[in-house]
Amino acid sequence: MASEHVEADNAEAIIARIEHKSRKIESLLKQNKPVEALKTALEGSPPKTKDERCKSANWIVVHRAIMAIKDVESLFFALDPEYYDILMKYLYRGLSTGDRPTCDQCLRIHEKLTEKAGLGCILRSLADTVNTV
Amino acid sequence: MAAVSVHKFADCVTCHAWSPDQSMIALCPNNDEVHIYRRSEEEKWERIHVLQKHDQIVSGIDWSSRSNKIVTVSHDRNSYVWNQETTEWVPTLVILRLNRAALCVQWSPKENKFAVGSGAKTVCVCYYEQENNWWVSKLIRKKHDSSVTSVAWHPNNIFLATTSTDGKCRVFSTFIKGVDTREAGSGPPSDSKFGEQIVQLDLSFCWAFGVKWSPSGNTLAYVGHNSMIYFVDDVGPSPLAQSVALRDLPLRDVLYLSERVLIGVGFDCNPMVFVADESGLWGFLRFLGERKAAASSAKSGSQFSEAFGKLYGQSRYGISNNSVQPSRLHGGIHENCINCIVPLNRKVGSKVTRFSTSGLDGRVVIWDLQNQEDLLDYL
Repeated sequence: MASEHVEADNAEAIIARIEHKSRKIESLLKQNKPVEALKTALEGSPPKTKDERCKSANWIVVHRAIMAIKDVESLFFALDPEYYDILMKYLYRGLSTGDRPTCDQCLRIHEKLTEKAGLGCILRSLADTVNTV
Repeated sequence: MAAVSVHKFADCVTCHAWSPDQSMIALCPNNDEVHIYRRSEEEKWERIHVLQKHDQIVSGIDWSSRSNKIVTVSHDRNSYVWNQETTEWVPTLVILRLNRAALCVQWSPKENKFAVGSGAKTVCVCYYEQENNWWVSKLIRKKHDSSVTSVAWHPNNIFLATTSTDGKCRVFSTFIKGVDTREAGSGPPSDSKFGEQIVQLDLSFCWAFGVKWSPSGNTLAYVGHNSMIYFVDDVGPSPLAQSVALRDLPLRDVLYLSERVLIGVGFDCNPMVFVADESGLWGFLRFLGERKAAASSAKSGSQFSEAFGKLYGQSRYGISNNSVQPSRLHGGIHENCINCIVPLNRKVGSKVTRFSTSGLDGRVVIWDLQNQEDLLDYL
């Protein structure tokens, strides 16, 4: 029981953090900084928690940032390699939604990301069944 | 060229091993037989023995360098130790007591034991009992949650590292009373019993393959099917781990050439060189094969054209008849996944500069690093 409470408290804290992140992203997008917004969205993603609400909440934030990317080429000038693996996981989550505009955008970024990060990046995101996003 | 000899023995080679003087090779051509070839002058290979006793695919072969014994394991769940008597190879059945396929085998450094990994989530450690003239198999049970894909002996002849499809790498003590002696001062802690787990490394979240110890036994390396390779220092209560992410496809097996150089082979069909810098930090250096389809996009193109060739009039064979080596078309010496790498000069204390690789394309390639100047500094 005790551990469940901790998990629930923890989930509340994570959701609060994601809400804070969401406000920051909106302001970055207003300042026309889509790459910074995407970085902020990917940072502190909660892959370790099992709580689906946290994962969904973070996906909404990441989705908002992904859809705001207009120029995919320049995205990869500014995005550091340490974001590649986590971004790939979110691209596959986007593709699994089946939503047409989301899939279009995810495929566009996926092509460039695969070019940049190689097939190893795809394998890492598909093979990891523990740290899902 | 780093590759000094390329020979296609079969459509597919599951595993191979060399005789102590490296004049003969034992390999399994993807069936229930083990073929032994001898090298005559001018790179001619002559088949001199066929070892027939298994009744399913032979998954592991190891040829002991001092006692000249061959051990084979197979999906038929059995193992044989082959002894050369006059001209014939005589098998001795080793009852492993497994209910699933045996997957890999390795002689211990002193060659008085061998270890078998299996699909039955167990490891067998086998030793010879003089009084019964019989190989006995002792099992390490209930430690692995899935198939054991690879085993590797520590130079101290006691510690055994395993990788498993449950994603973990583990180190066990295999001390057997009457076979091993406790040496005071050096060697493993004297209180370790048979089957005791020394450490469990929990770095990978998917299948783990290909574990090896460095020559000193201070470091071990293994690979994950998520295109990662893991290096672990100070194997014991507080191990230090490094993980290196690969750009390309996953590895299947690794081999330490020295404390600072490691070769990885796998689905990229081209051996990869990893080196450690002065501070002990590991990183990918380069591919060993001369030519490599540089970008992954180019590679998917070549795979497509291969399928295209097969569908439309087999144009690939037409080209290869025109004295253009097929390997050139694919940009590599191997044309398919490499799943086995074996050192060639394996004397204790000497540097390994020659090794061989085999894979699903049926080729055995011998590599020599003597003329690879950028690597000699690390060896």
